[in-house]
Amino acid sequence: MLELRNIRKVYNAGSITELKLFDDFSLTVDDGEFVSVIGSNGSGKTSLLNIICGSIPIESGDVLVGGESIAKEKDFVRCRRIGRVYQNPSLGTSPNLTMLENLSLADNKGKSFGLRFGINKKRIDYYTEQLASLGLGLEDKLNVKMGALSGGQRQAVALLMATMTPLEFLILDEHTAALDPKTAEVIMQLTDRVVREKGLTAIMVTHNLRYAVEYGTRLIMMDKGSIAFDKRGAEKAALTTDEVLAKFNTLSIE
Amino acid sequence: MKKLLCIVLTLTLVLAFAACGAKSDEPYLIGISQYGEHPSLDNCREGFLQGLAEAGLVEGKDFTLDYQNAGFDDNIAIQIGQSFSAENVDLMCAIATPSATACYAAAEDKDIPVIFTAITDPVAAHLDSGNVTGTSDKLPVEAQLDLIRKLQPEAKTIGIVYTTSEPNSVSAIAEYEEKAGDYGFEIDAIGVTAQSEVTQAVDTLISHKVDCLSNLTDNNVVGTLAAVLEKTNEAGIPVYGSEVEQVKLGCVAAAGIDYIKLGRQTGVMAAKVLKGEVSCADLPFETISEYGVYVNSAACSELSITLPEEIVAVAIETAE
Amino acid sequence: MLDSIISTLTQGFIYALISFGVYITYSILDFPDLTTDGSFPLGAAVTAVLLTNGCNPYLTLLVAIAVGALAGLITGLIHVKLHVRDLLAGIITMTALFSINLQIGGSNLVVERATATIFNAEPIMTLFGGMSLLYRKLIVSFILIVVVKIILDLYFKTKSGLLLRAVGDNQTLVTALAKDKGNMKILGLVIANALVALAGCIVCHEQRSFSATMGTGQVVFGLATVIIGITLFRRMSFVKGTTAVVIGSILYKACITVALAAGLPANLLKLITALLFLLVLVLSGRKGEEIIHA
Repeated sequence: MLELRNIRKVYNAGSITELKLFDDFSLTVDDGEFVSVIGSNGSGKTSLLNIICGSIPIESGDVLVGGESIAKEKDFVRCRRIGRVYQNPSLGTSPNLTMLENLSLADNKGKSFGLRFGINKKRIDYYTEQLASLGLGLEDKLNVKMGALSGGQRQAVALLMATMTPLEFLILDEHTAALDPKTAEVIMQLTDRVVREKGLTAIMVTHNLRYAVEYGTRLIMMDKGSIAFDKRGAEKAALTTDEVLAKFNTLSIE
Repeated sequence: MKKLLCIVLTLTLVLAFAACGAKSDEPYLIGISQYGEHPSLDNCREGFLQGLAEAGLVEGKDFTLDYQNAGFDDNIAIQIGQSFSAENVDLMCAIATPSATACYAAAEDKDIPVIFTAITDPVAAHLDSGNVTGTSDKLPVEAQLDLIRKLQPEAKTIGIVYTTSEPNSVSAIAEYEEKAGDYGFEIDAIGVTAQSEVTQAVDTLISHKVDCLSNLTDNNVVGTLAAVLEKTNEAGIPVYGSEVEQVKLGCVAAAGIDYIKLGRQTGVMAAKVLKGEVSCADLPFETISEYGVYVNSAACSELSITLPEEIVAVAIETAE
Repeated sequence: MLDSIISTLTQGFIYALISFGVYITYSILDFPDLTTDGSFPLGAAVTAVLLTNGCNPYLTLLVAIAVGALAGLITGLIHVKLHVRDLLAGIITMTALFSINLQIGGSNLVVERATATIFNAEPIMTLFGGMSLLYRKLIVSFILIVVVKIILDLYFKTKSGLLLRAVGDNQTLVTALAKDKGNMKILGLVIANALVALAGCIVCHEQRSFSATMGTGQVVFGLATVIIGITLFRRMSFVKGTTAVVIGSILYKACITVALAAGLPANLLKLITALLFLLVLVLSGRKGEEIIHA
């Protein structure tokens, strides 16, 4: 279970451009939930993810996982339990390493990065099998440099890498936004499958209202640093895109 | 285009290497490795050639020259030494310490004789034994102190700026500090690491109210001498040089070495070695025994320094 | 002419250790590390002091590696822990090292000819004693560079090596792998400066001298060799980066040999180096920024 308690976040504190984003913001995500977060620009969606991951500092409040505070942990320490896929496909992989080297790195997460050989030949079959399951024809490109692949292919591998080792949360940061509609659809379906198969707790920020309605078990709409709309379970399942869009427009027009 | 360039580059390389290998049989081949271009060092080379001529060797007939200067880059000095060794020169003439150590290292294998000049302390540089010899440009420190005492009977403190990474300067400072007391002086020495720090160091010495400045053969100080003199003249502090070129520039006086003479002495030694009269190993390095006293009376009168008769009698006037 | 080629190759091999160091910092880590100008003479200074005090010549290699590593560690700590910009962190260490080198070796320290160096101590003499010193220097420096190259190539394939390459490539990924990117940068700087100090050590053995000014321009040398090497071989993916920079180093030294043989005044050498540099960059169609991570 992930809890954000009484979060206060101010940008450029003390200057003319001071912007108070969160003031006493709280959110609880239960294990196994797949939360879609929508909201207009500046509503605090991405800041929310950054606060969970420890990428940005907070003024006050607490972040807890399973009842235990992680607010003082550095970003890379928190990453032991969190997997994250970014909007920019190049952020999830290392472009000058081959796909095999990238997968090997991801596979080693949580273990020591010592002087043992980086690539474990015994795992190649497993990687091939995983890549084949993506259905993007990546399984015979293990020795190709990541940078030579398309954005969609890279994002698929990034998703695979982020979820390769056991994790408690999957953070999806507008991870389909930079892709063309067709590829975005493929990646979205893939995400849904991975989350279901592995039984992950996931938080997905998206601009695509349809994805937010179609996928996931809970939908949160954010507005100016607070939650404007929060539906889960049967209520969420009953939502339609038009309904959400109508609600979204009432917020955005103000 | 690219292929063409590759071919051209490769050809140039091969040809140039071939050129290094080509060597005429008859005249001696002398390689001169000079650390950088600088009036004193240039005078050394000039004098060296005069010395060879004095010993009856004619350029073109008796010897050919390969002159290289390293532009004050230690790593280039290393490659110059090695290219001389590869050319199988008959003798290397090295001007200043970095060039001498590089030449001597490159000559180790083939036992090519190395003649150096403009080195203050050949013993510290381990250039005092083996197939190597030359001349030392050790400053006549006592003569300089004596000269300053005669020109400024009331003076107490001598300010000196020196570069901490120049071996010649470091050993000269040690001697200044050792001998100053004998002449009733105190030394106020400021070390710098770069040419850009020299004028700042001079400002500091002026604020310390030193009675005069005395120069070493320090490359950084000599290189900024014009700017240094501008400051000291304004403050009314005389500067004593370490060789004739500095006095020409506006120092009041110097008890210094004549680098042409030093080079000539070196050239004579080189000729003996080339002719086979003596080997470097048997020829101990020489320190110039005589020094000249140089004065610039225009600079002196500007700073109201009166030149005593005994100085005028021996000094060489440099002001035009 | 053969002698000229041999001594140029020897210089190229020895100085290629600097190229390795710059390859790691500039090309792999994307870190413009100016520590190089200080860690190179540092390696030479400790070597000169140790040799004059009768230390085993081979031991000096290890000591030089250790002090170089320490220099890299300091730059890394200044950058990562004190949050000083990369360029400035290197400048701070380099400046401090200038004084430290003067303290260790003075302005100039010459090792007597009677002192054994790695080029004429046992077991080299037993193995290659029949050869002239010129050839022995070539063989010893060649063995050394090949050994270091193989170790580096192997290291780049280890888990730690992959992570190091990933840091320069994409820091976010390293954080995502739950590893501290700062520590990886420090590790890279440690390895790079250890190699640079080793270069200083070998130069000291070969030249029998240390001079406080010998470090000037070594970063530029390193960058030039890395860029020349990698640019020339960028279409040949079978040529490893480490091999390419060794060739870059040899070419650089060969250019100087050629310029000297052609009678070009040394005052112009730097200008010619700069022009050559520019030529390689322009002809290759890449203006430097892509060299990173090549």
